Amino acid sequence: MLNIENLRAEVEGKEILKGLSLQVNAGEIHAIMGPNGAGKSTLGYVLGGRGNYTPTGGTVTLNGEDLLEMEPDQRAAAGLFLGFQYPVEIPGISNVQFLREALNSQRRVRGEGPLSGAEFLKLARAQADLLGMHHDMLKRPVNVGFSGGEKKRNEMVQMGILGPKLAILDETDSGLDIDALKAVGDGINRIMRAPDKAVILITHYQRLLDYVKPDFVHVLADGRIVRSGGAELAHELEREGYGAIAA
Amino acid sequence: MTLLQLPTPKQEEWRWADMAALRTAAGSAPQPTGIDPASLFLDLEGPRLLFVDGVFDPARSTPGPLQITRWTPETTHPLGQLAQGEGWTLSLAAQQAASCIQVVHLGSGGESHVPAQIVLAEDAVASMVETFAGTGWANRLLQVKLARGARLMRSVRLIQSAGFVSIRDEAEIGEAASLVSVFLAAGGMASRIDGGITVIGKGAFAEMGGALLTRETQKQEAAVVVRHEAIEGSSRQLWRAVAADRSTASLAARVEVARGAQQTDGEQSLRGLLLARTATVNLKPELEIFADDVKCAHGATVGELDQRAMFYLQSRGVPENRAKALLTRAFVADALARIGEDTVREAFAADADAWLDTAL
Ligand SMILES: Nc1ncnc2c1ncn2[C@@H]1O[C@H](COP(=O)(O)OP(=O)(O)OP(=O)(O)O)[C@@H](O)[C@H]1O
Ligand SMILES: [Mg+2]
Repeated sequence: MLNIENLRAEVEGKEILKGLSLQVNAGEIHAIMGPNGAGKSTLGYVLGGRGNYTPTGGTVTLNGEDLLEMEPDQRAAAGLFLGFQYPVEIPGISNVQFLREALNSQRRVRGEGPLSGAEFLKLARAQADLLGMHHDMLKRPVNVGFSGGEKKRNEMVQMGILGPKLAILDETDSGLDIDALKAVGDGINRIMRAPDKAVILITHYQRLLDYVKPDFVHVLADGRIVRSGGAELAHELEREGYGAIAA
Repeated sequence: MTLLQLPTPKQEEWRWADMAALRTAAGSAPQPTGIDPASLFLDLEGPRLLFVDGVFDPARSTPGPLQITRWTPETTHPLGQLAQGEGWTLSLAAQQAASCIQVVHLGSGGESHVPAQIVLAEDAVASMVETFAGTGWANRLLQVKLARGARLMRSVRLIQSAGFVSIRDEAEIGEAASLVSVFLAAGGMASRIDGGITVIGKGAFAEMGGALLTRETQKQEAAVVVRHEAIEGSSRQLWRAVAADRSTASLAARVEVARGAQQTDGEQSLRGLLLARTATVNLKPELEIFADDVKCAHGATVGELDQRAMFYLQSRGVPENRAKALLTRAFVADALARIGEDTVREAFAADADAWLDTAL
């Protein structure tokens, strides 16, 4: 599904990704762990196509298509979803307005007809219910005044509505209380665990991986994948820290 | 009319005014506009006035309580004093109401001048919408007197495709009376929206605000002075300016609190959004306070679209231009939110959307 080869990228003229390779097949869940500042969020932004995050070498394909050539919205329509470490507050635009626009834009690119306001609201409410998010929050401006945990739940509601093929979830577990962690974990399993989908979970903690069992765990340090293993690698990291492993 | 009397940019209050565009519009030859005036009225029950090139069109108007007369208003305003001759007046006796009045001004070129007057007796209530379409120089003066407890809600949209619209509002607001004026400039014309509002009664409320949207080489401006002469008054000036391409949008808002006008609450919020680095937004917030027990909040900021918000929207599948349009519409939303009537607010939002479709 996703094939990253020797990816290099810079931010503001500084090289952050330094030859990163990773292959993710349909049906797989990968966890990426690694020290602060290693480049995990940068990887997500480069794959998402954020301005200022400039690829300088290597290739990335999503289902055979050159991802780096596409605009961010085209990447979304191709099935990519980025769960933000810091979801952005957007005053003056309601969640429903934003998401209906987003979903219908994606559908247009895929040659599907738009959902009406009523059809969309039904879908949005169903997804909000599944994640335990109050319907009122759908009408509120995007993330404005949401608590840290509410923002992360909202990311998952968005993922449920948009139904991506590949989700890159950047610290979706941070800032969550125990109930929210379970809701988010269940959400990821329900929405993304399917033979034709895949997930990259960026996390610092084992606790999310207890809910969402990864098939592979990678350590990202200094802009590269320095070690890969199975689910047991996460336990080892939690016990021993990055120091010994990444060195 | 002689153009020699026009103000010049050397005068401080007129330094951002596009007098060249005004002169060009004034000298332009009338051309068929191709606009059906009926299409400029919103679907609202209420009195309707149509002025074509400043001339009242009785066949396509239903004036109700409004009257058409000729007079020479008293004002010292350099553009306002040119607005003399045929115009309209609304006088309501105590407790009377007139809602959803619509006045449409359609211009085909050249200059047109129309005075107007609204006098509301105690507790009278009126609401109105004014629309400027077509081209040419449309020069208007409105003088308002609100007696105790009277309320006027006015929404004005400038959607001329070219030319110049100048509006001068002069108002005296009596005790516990309220005036709310909301402007949207979303056409291709240059403009000057000019207000001089005086709070003369205790506990009165005055609001004048709106949104200016400019593109290409267009210049638009709003210049408003609210003067508090009585105690416990409040006023609000909330303006948004969006400038694209090489255009200029300018906002000058001033609150004056006279000696003795204690417990005045004046709020000023001026914000500009640059859609291009080559565009200009000028902001000039001013406070002049001669009373000591006064609350005046003011803010003035100019910025660009939030790149983090842009990427967030795009990463969910919204194309770049739509993302810009959504964020820009959100930026002007507070300025239009004050319009009470749904039909009117929606029409104004649609005008703003139409502007965004062309500008982005
Ligand atoms: N916009 C930016 N401008 C300058 N430097 C940046 C920018 N974004 C990221 N960096 C730098 O790139 C490096 C990698 O940052 P990144 O956010 O990808 O780390 P991370 O692995 O996600 O860390 P964390 O675990 O703390 O979230 C850091 O040194 C950071 O300072
Ligand atoms: Mg990070």
